Amino acid sequence: MPITDEMIQVATRELYSRALRKVPEDAKEGLRAAMKSETSEIARRTLDLQLKSAELAERKDRFVCSDSGVPTYFVKIGSGAVLDCDLKASIRSGYEELVETIDPPILKHVTNPLTLERSHHGKEMPLVSYDFESGADYVEMICSPKALGSGRWAALELFTFPSLEEIETYVLDVAIKAGAQHCPPVVMGVGIGGSFDYCAALAKKQTLRPLGKVNPEPVLAAMEERLKTAVNALGFGPMGTGGDTTVLGVHVDYASGHGFTPVAVCFNCWINRRTSVKMWNDGRMEWGE
Amino acid sequence: MSVREHELALPVDRAAIEVLRAGDVVYLTGEIFATAGLPTHERLLGCIEGREAVPFEMKDGALFHLGSLNEEGADGSLRIVYMNPTTSTRFNKHMPRLIPGLGLRVTGGKGGLSAESAAAMAENGCVYLAFLGGGAQIFTASIRKVTGIGWPEMVSHYRVVRIEVERLGPLTVGIDAHGSSLYDSTAQGASARREDILAQMRAERAVAAGGSVKP
Ligand code: SF4
Repeated sequence: MPITDEMIQVATRELYSRALRKVPEDAKEGLRAAMKSETSEIARRTLDLQLKSAELAERKDRFVCSDSGVPTYFVKIGSGAVLDCDLKASIRSGYEELVETIDPPILKHVTNPLTLERSHHGKEMPLVSYDFESGADYVEMICSPKALGSGRWAALELFTFPSLEEIETYVLDVAIKAGAQHCPPVVMGVGIGGSFDYCAALAKKQTLRPLGKVNPEPVLAAMEERLKTAVNALGFGPMGTGGDTTVLGVHVDYASGHGFTPVAVCFNCWINRRTSVKMWNDGRMEWGE
Repeated sequence: MSVREHELALPVDRAAIEVLRAGDVVYLTGEIFATAGLPTHERLLGCIEGREAVPFEMKDGALFHLGSLNEEGADGSLRIVYMNPTTSTRFNKHMPRLIPGLGLRVTGGKGGLSAESAAAMAENGCVYLAFLGGGAQIFTASIRKVTGIGWPEMVSHYRVVRIEVERLGPLTVGIDAHGSSLYDSTAQGASARREDILAQMRAERAVAAGGSVKP
């Protein structure tokens, strides 16, 4: 039995809808841990309020934030997966159905960059990237709605044969520039190497990596710790009113490339919108965060 | 140091605003105005320049950078399904003129405003209140009723909405009426610490590199 149009449409709708209502468990755990280590009282109050807000939205099955962002999806097609649909069209239909039926309705955030007109629809919307996975017998979809605060402060720079010091200094400077405009405490994703586009995708994907998992690459694991301590030492704190918790985690990945080395930095705000699903040929759907 | 809390009723006079200090917590009761639109701010500037009438008189009031899903029911009743702050720094260009022009005592949203806005606040007796981004359920719960929707021809979050709230909060005084801004102090603190932080990272990298070449 193949993976059907209906399954893809359900996945497209549900992933977005769930991402708007539920803060992932690992992010909540990160906020709770920060409550214990935070030395500023204002910051502790904000962290506490964030946890309350998350809990309230979940209980009422309502949105955590009114900026529902624009939908971005990552689709990974396993080599053993059998698809009986026009994948791109199914995702588009799922999204169209979502904006018509979601309760509560979502605001019109999809913006035409040339006219600044806003609606629910537009060229290339939803934003989808496709990839393949060898040896897997499923299709995986990840949804990451990107809102103004969580999307606006990403940055990319190209270096030639940079030292680790240059790379890390750049990441710190991006964090300084973003300040607290992205609703901290955030998750920071960093991509190093590859090409311009590849590097940006690496950084973005790292914002979707669950918190609390040690990077298997020792050089990167050390870099992640160093950067986390460094960014938190900047003192912006939760929502920027000061404190020790500006990031919950810094996640880094790299790709080999030429000596021109892009470094990309991307953020996910404290509500860490991300949802995933794996779909098998037998119709099973396994939901995740 | 424990945080000071205040209950404030709107509209509010200058003296009550001057009591507030950056870092204090405020709960608001009364009528507020809310919009999240850049075009709305342009249009409000047009109002104070006399191009059209303001949708609402806001003197001694609170204009917040809040986006909302608001609707008018078939029976004419007004309703807000959810509301939440938006990034205030997008309005850095407008606020220094809108604060005196509209006679605002309170503004707010998330992310703060520029030093130029802070100066306009100090001069005119106005504060900036910081909302939690991603606090839609908390803030929506304080809505008592919607008492007006200005410029309904715009998309929902761009309209100017007049809302009666009860104990809207907790809100943190991000910029007080004495020129003190938590946003400026955290940004300055970050820049001031940058060199030390970089030195610390350098030291940690040296230890890591040393560790890896040892037998
Ligand atoms: S950055 Fe995140 S929490 Fe903040 S307003 Fe945007 S979507 Fe909401």
